[in-house]
Amino acid sequence: MMFDHLRYGPRMTLLAFGALEGRERAAAERHAGSCARCRSELESLLALREELRADPVRGAEPALPVAALVSRVEARIDENLARPRSPWTWRLGVALPVAAAAMVVIALLAPRIASRFAPAPAPGVADEAPVVSPEALARLERNVAREQAARYLNDAGDVLVTMAAAPADCDRKDERVDVGQASARSRELLARRALLLESGPQSVASARPVLDDVEQALREVASLESCVRRRDVERLRQSVERRQLLLRIRLMTRELEG
Amino acid sequence: MQSPAEPGSDRDLLHRLAAGDREALTPLMERHYRRLYRLALSYLRNPDDALDAVQETFVKTFQNAARWDGSSEAGPWLSRITINVAIDRYRRDKRRQATFTPLAEGDHDETIAAGEPSPERRTFGTELAGRIASALRVLPEKQRAVFVLRHYQDMSLEEIAESLEMSLGTVKSTLHRAVLRLRERLQGVRA
Repeated sequence: MMFDHLRYGPRMTLLAFGALEGRERAAAERHAGSCARCRSELESLLALREELRADPVRGAEPALPVAALVSRVEARIDENLARPRSPWTWRLGVALPVAAAAMVVIALLAPRIASRFAPAPAPGVADEAPVVSPEALARLERNVAREQAARYLNDAGDVLVTMAAAPADCDRKDERVDVGQASARSRELLARRALLLESGPQSVASARPVLDDVEQALREVASLESCVRRRDVERLRQSVERRQLLLRIRLMTRELEG
Repeated sequence: MQSPAEPGSDRDLLHRLAAGDREALTPLMERHYRRLYRLALSYLRNPDDALDAVQETFVKTFQNAARWDGSSEAGPWLSRITINVAIDRYRRDKRRQATFTPLAEGDHDETIAAGEPSPERRTFGTELAGRIASALRVLPEKQRAVFVLRHYQDMSLEEIAESLEMSLGTVKSTLHRAVLRLRERLQGVRA
């Protein structure tokens, strides 16, 4: 009996989760009918399955309508076709920035490491000259700032597309839709924007007009309540369209990414 | 020998994609978008990540349609791409968290479960979703994938074995272990 119980333990799990068929299923059911311990185990597992079936994820609806996703997929396919990358260029693309970063780190640390092993300098000797040129550091900072700006614009574009696409109803009678998530995300992005401009205003000067327009749009989204009238969302969508904001975001992101 | 695909069927659409016909993308996506979204969401538990995963799935489908040999059904093939994309994404996020978030002693997931309401709970607005998410989070990635494919997609054990390149016996024992671990975890959270 003990042996049977051990043998049928995993089968009770598979039976409860509907994964057994035919003879295997019949045998497991027969055993559960004759073994009190396995029957009790089966009941416990069936209760667990019921609980898991109530998970709201099972009926979740995507926030983006399929047409919008088709556009995104096509854009990605176009990008991939426009920029075919051989394995060699891919390796270079990864290896060069890593090598450059490693050189900067080594250059920064080298004087400290050397000073540990070098004899103490004689009094009156002048300080060592800086190893990394200020130009190289400025270039590095500029690249980082531009990458951050590109990521920010990309994320902002996603918020605007998602919000304008087809938010779910929160009050069908009153024609109101739920934009709570888009609104919260806009506030996060606005906080990121402030940091972005603090860290490198000159590096992203060319993106400033787009950044300003995006900021304005995000402020409008952020100021929305979570359940708003559909026509308010429509008004925002038209404003984004009128300013060709999504197209400008895409172009500027590409420019910033080099 | 394969029989010719019925016009408008999944097979037909995949053959057209393989020939570079991009028009076939829309009907294929309309048919599978929701199902694959729910699959990605049940694994990743984050709506934005799930949308990205579905997007990546269809890009890969277009790029690899010529490699589909037609011996399997299109639906499970798409699920297979989605679950693998989701696993990769989850792995990347975990690595990023491990790099940038200082971990407390012990299990990282315990700290998430015990602290602020989880993102899932904020997103789906139910306590149950949060509890299930934190229970799923402690499963190793293969257990999580096997469980998700069975429970959320109703895939047969054979289809799961094919999708995850595992033997049938391994799928059975993995599902068993995943369920026991989930039960233990959910009871622990309830207590």
